[in-house]
Amino acid sequence: MTARRRDPRAERTARIVQTEPRRRLVLDPDAIAASSGGRPRRDPRARRADATLQTAPRLRLDWTGKGTGAAVSMSAPGRGQRAAPAAPPLRVIENPACLIFAALDRPDGALSAHDRQLLAAARLLADAVDGAVVAVAPDGADDWGALGADRVIPLPAAWAAEYAPERRAAALVAAIARWSPLHVLFPESPEGGDLARRVAAACGERLFAGVESLSASRVARRAGGGATELSCAPSRFLSIAADAVAPLGAVRHEARRLDPPETSPDAPKLREARRLPVDPDGVGLGEADFILSAGNGVTDWVVFADLGRALGATRAGSRVVCDAGHLPRDRQVGASGTVVSARCYLAFGIAGAPQHLQGVGGVERVVAVNTDLHAAMIKRADLAIIADAQAVMPALLRLAGEGGHG
Amino acid sequence: MVDVAILVSVGRHPASGQARRAPSDARALELAFGLPPGRRDALHAGDPTNPALRDYLGMGLERLTVLAMAEGRDPTDALAARLRGLSPGIILTGNQAEGGEDSGMLPYVVAQALGLAIVPDVVAIALDAEGRTAEVVQALARGQRRALRVELPFVATVHPAAPAARPSAFGPARRGRIEVVPVDAPPDAFLTACAARPWRDRPKRLSVGAAGGGTGGALERLRAATEAKAGQGRVLVEPSPDEAARAIWDYLQEQGMQPR
Amino acid sequence: MVAAALSTVTLTVLLVGLALALVQARRWRAGRAAAVDLWAGLAALPGRYLVDVHAVVGRTPFNARFHALSAGGFLAALALLVVLALPPLRHPALWGLLALALAAMLAGGLMVGYRRRVLRPAGLSGGRFNRLPLALTGFAAAFLLVAADQSAGGVLPVPVGLALVALGGWGLAELVFGVWNGPLKHAVHGALHLVAHPRPARFHDGAGRDSGLRPLDLETADSGPLGAGRVVDFAWNRLLGFDACVQCGRCETACPAFAAGLPLNPKKLIQDLVLSLDEGGDDRAYTGSRHPGRPVGAATSGPSRPLVGPQAMIHPDTLWACTTCRACVQECPMMIEHVDAVVDLRRFQTLELGATPAKAAGVLEELRATDNPGGRSLDRRLDWAVDLRLPVLAAGGTCDVLLWLGDGAYDLRNQRSLRALVLLLRRAGVDFAVLGAEELDCGDVARRLGDEATFQDLARRNVALLNGRRFARIVTADPHAFHTLRNEYPAFGGRWTVLHHTAFLLELVRSGALTVTAPLGQAVAYHDPCYLGRYNGETDAPRALLDAIGARRREMERSGLRSRCCGGGGGAPLTDVAGERRIPDMRMDDARASGAPILAVACPTCTLMLEGVVEPRPAVAEIAELVLAATEPTR
Repeated sequence: MTARRRDPRAERTARIVQTEPRRRLVLDPDAIAASSGGRPRRDPRARRADATLQTAPRLRLDWTGKGTGAAVSMSAPGRGQRAAPAAPPLRVIENPACLIFAALDRPDGALSAHDRQLLAAARLLADAVDGAVVAVAPDGADDWGALGADRVIPLPAAWAAEYAPERRAAALVAAIARWSPLHVLFPESPEGGDLARRVAAACGERLFAGVESLSASRVARRAGGGATELSCAPSRFLSIAADAVAPLGAVRHEARRLDPPETSPDAPKLREARRLPVDPDGVGLGEADFILSAGNGVTDWVVFADLGRALGATRAGSRVVCDAGHLPRDRQVGASGTVVSARCYLAFGIAGAPQHLQGVGGVERVVAVNTDLHAAMIKRADLAIIADAQAVMPALLRLAGEGGHG
Repeated sequence: MVDVAILVSVGRHPASGQARRAPSDARALELAFGLPPGRRDALHAGDPTNPALRDYLGMGLERLTVLAMAEGRDPTDALAARLRGLSPGIILTGNQAEGGEDSGMLPYVVAQALGLAIVPDVVAIALDAEGRTAEVVQALARGQRRALRVELPFVATVHPAAPAARPSAFGPARRGRIEVVPVDAPPDAFLTACAARPWRDRPKRLSVGAAGGGTGGALERLRAATEAKAGQGRVLVEPSPDEAARAIWDYLQEQGMQPR
Repeated sequence: MVAAALSTVTLTVLLVGLALALVQARRWRAGRAAAVDLWAGLAALPGRYLVDVHAVVGRTPFNARFHALSAGGFLAALALLVVLALPPLRHPALWGLLALALAAMLAGGLMVGYRRRVLRPAGLSGGRFNRLPLALTGFAAAFLLVAADQSAGGVLPVPVGLALVALGGWGLAELVFGVWNGPLKHAVHGALHLVAHPRPARFHDGAGRDSGLRPLDLETADSGPLGAGRVVDFAWNRLLGFDACVQCGRCETACPAFAAGLPLNPKKLIQDLVLSLDEGGDDRAYTGSRHPGRPVGAATSGPSRPLVGPQAMIHPDTLWACTTCRACVQECPMMIEHVDAVVDLRRFQTLELGATPAKAAGVLEELRATDNPGGRSLDRRLDWAVDLRLPVLAAGGTCDVLLWLGDGAYDLRNQRSLRALVLLLRRAGVDFAVLGAEELDCGDVARRLGDEATFQDLARRNVALLNGRRFARIVTADPHAFHTLRNEYPAFGGRWTVLHHTAFLLELVRSGALTVTAPLGQAVAYHDPCYLGRYNGETDAPRALLDAIGARRREMERSGLRSRCCGGGGGAPLTDVAGERRIPDMRMDDARASGAPILAVACPTCTLMLEGVVEPRPAVAEIAELVLAATEPTR
């Protein structure tokens, strides 16, 4: 990503904290709090104390001035009290040269990390051309200004929860027709990607899909089965891949609300959408999000099944367990079974043969319960418990049954 | 009884780069085999001599129609025209092509051109008795499923979680017919404007400790960078079963796997 | 009077038997044509019977003895009975000879009875087969009395004589009709099978061993279905071979899948094929052991019905349970080629129906798209050896030894043994090189799973690749690649000297290029890989190598040519048919019983299968690893 083009005038405007009796600018946004009472003063001693994360066993300093993790501050005696980060100055773009639409997902009514990245991408394109970022999303209680939106086109809040791709697309098409944005950005998520293609097709334009790298002058993405990189100047319709753009830091924008355009209420062709109840054990292992896995250390298969049900986890097992017929073959995790990519993998009594570890290569978090401290699975685990799996399972089952209030 | 058209593309194996049947298009064909028998028309736009097309015939198709066009042409008009002539009840295709532009736009453009509804990420289709509407199941993230009803005709893109495609067999692949229909397709101006070069992996952006996360200190970023996938997390040695259960439960809650 | 009755009965029965045999022959003619040199086969028949068949039967000396007695006595008696049909030749001396032959036969018959009634090996079939000792002894005893009586001039009252002739006649009829569809099928069918055998090179008058699969003709598109979907899709001499089965059950005793309770009994499989020769044939009359876990009598079959299917004569699980270990072929006294039949059936399933079991089909698809079964990039075949800087043989290049790495190069465990092998080659100063990213999978798995098209594609490209390089010989640590390169690539124009690494290492130790400095001194059990032992007859080199590095070698139950499979051959880990036990677990029990703390293996598949057995168990070590440790240079 190339450096953002600087606009000294805008930056200066953004830093104005006081105009009377004389104009004052903030030089360091983080120092705003300290300067709120008057002229900012540097206190090297205090700054050093602020930056001290820990003193023992060795000194660690953080000069970025960003983090004040509560957990860290508790565990770091000797740390100076940091000033709470203050609200950044409000930035108003009164007459934008153009508009950049960011069509946010807001899955289940809450802004996702991907949505934040999308706003950052829109911000980047907008700042390059003195444009304004317009968030188009189902209405909600979000603080759009702090997210980097200059304008907001609220869509009915109910659309966040229900499946209404056709109505969303129609509303966006109408908004595009009315405001003619320079760019329309979508998240390349299942729903956002679908919306992007619907809107682009309806507008008779092409979508540059799944942007992996973005600058004001160039967008690039993978194509050709992942082997080639296609790049061009940002096209009108773009969808941004997850984690391609860093979300914005602390900003404050106006978030002026625009009236959504009227759309003709066509009867949607996709009707009666409803979530199907999903049996975790019916989910393919490759798709599963949370896996409860058993190895040689598990002998009570009734408790194991109950635990899977209580935790809402997909059951799986090591090769030995599947060989022994305790679980069907399609539940085998490992190089010779299924390679899983769950967010969480809870392993009971699995020592961690190399083939099994290959199978959990894509897992984000591993919790392992095993009697052997030196088992490979314990080394791989984010939370490792050296205990008899057979004893822990019923205790966890009890706790899950009580909803954690044991 | 329903007439189905299946749009198939040529895939590209991610490791070797060799041409093959595109996995999600093959699943679309498999889904078509599972529908009550009517006419099945498989269509491909591109080079009719590509041997990977025989992989679809090997699944039991007798005939594959190829709208023959050179590389870099825009196939949408030709496909839409052909489909208009066939007027199938359901148009199926994979939701991810591999090996071409891979933008996933084609089914949408086709649906738009024909004025049809489009249902993405389908894993199952059940027709009602009269064959006028279909109950469609979509795959969502994390193994979730959504059902909805749609009137025929419609376009559906098939999700990788759909039932696995049957293997392609050599005998039927050799016997199947490839029907070549030369078409005149305009050059794809949008793609021509793009520069292409071999993909090079970029470092993965760390989500923890990035600016704006608010709570990320240096220690946290350091931890995030060094821990990444190596594990080396917390170890509890010989706790009582209840302590162990509590620790697991708290961790699961922390990770959002259990309601707080 | 009695003599005339005897002759009439004998000749009638023999003529009826001959007619029935001709009826039988009609069924085989329904099969496909096959190029058979009948005259050469006929000329070789006595030798094949006496040498090759006897070698197999002789593995159980008791059986060899009763065969010699009863068959020898029976044939001699028949010859004499035909001669004695001519009244002028009815000399007392001839009657005496007949009595002697019949006495020998009676002894043999009694031994058969002892085996069937007292010993009762589990592999034997019942039903008509249980009447065999009665028929043998009845015929021999009754005619013995008649012959003795005739040589003594006929002292018995005529009614008694006639009664004895009738009893003997029943025995003879039972025996001769048993040739048609019973316990004596091997007499005529077996002999004809030996004449028209599809692999004449396997006999002592040929190369002595012939285990490479025959290429399938894929060029001519309209030569009928690929592989065997119906029983008539087999060549006629294969059908004759199946029909020669006398259900002795030796294959069943040797089969690892049967022992593990997988739904495969090679004997029943051959009978399924035989029963399918008749329209409406079913297996209700089959009295041997079943395919474990499968019912009998549920399916009917016929010459033009599909052989394999959930409702057909052969359940798909039965077909895909086979590990192609050739233990059945090794044990079959009738020289039936079970593995060829299994592969022919699989070829139809894979090439015509695409009915390969799910995981195996996925592997074949990856293999087609990436030229290796794991679907990995070929560039990464040498990733494990970055630090070893293996010399790569480019086109036109030259080296002494070409090291064929195989698919083991992608597996963490097998990279360890390959590393040991490379270090040994370096230590011995061998001029070697690898093919690097250009080496394709040899196609073994594809071929055993019936995907002949993929195999032939890989074979042609590998042969072209290797023929473009100059080297003295190929060494590989993978017996599957060894077998494929050595025995199956010649059909595609690839003829090289191929060595298994155990033979090559032995050569290096014997020539002094490797010096044993730290003799192992531990007890080691050696597990013979099927594709090295049975497929290629190589059982000595690994043992000599172990002896040379000072291992105290212990033989396991079932070793050498009669070794038991690890369960990893023929794509069996991919088709993954469930049984009561796992084959590697049973094999590991053999290793445990030997008491050796180390189980030496010489095949990447065996390594993975046997190391996958739950501990406690003997440590699994590849021979190269043991040799590396024993030849550490001393300073």
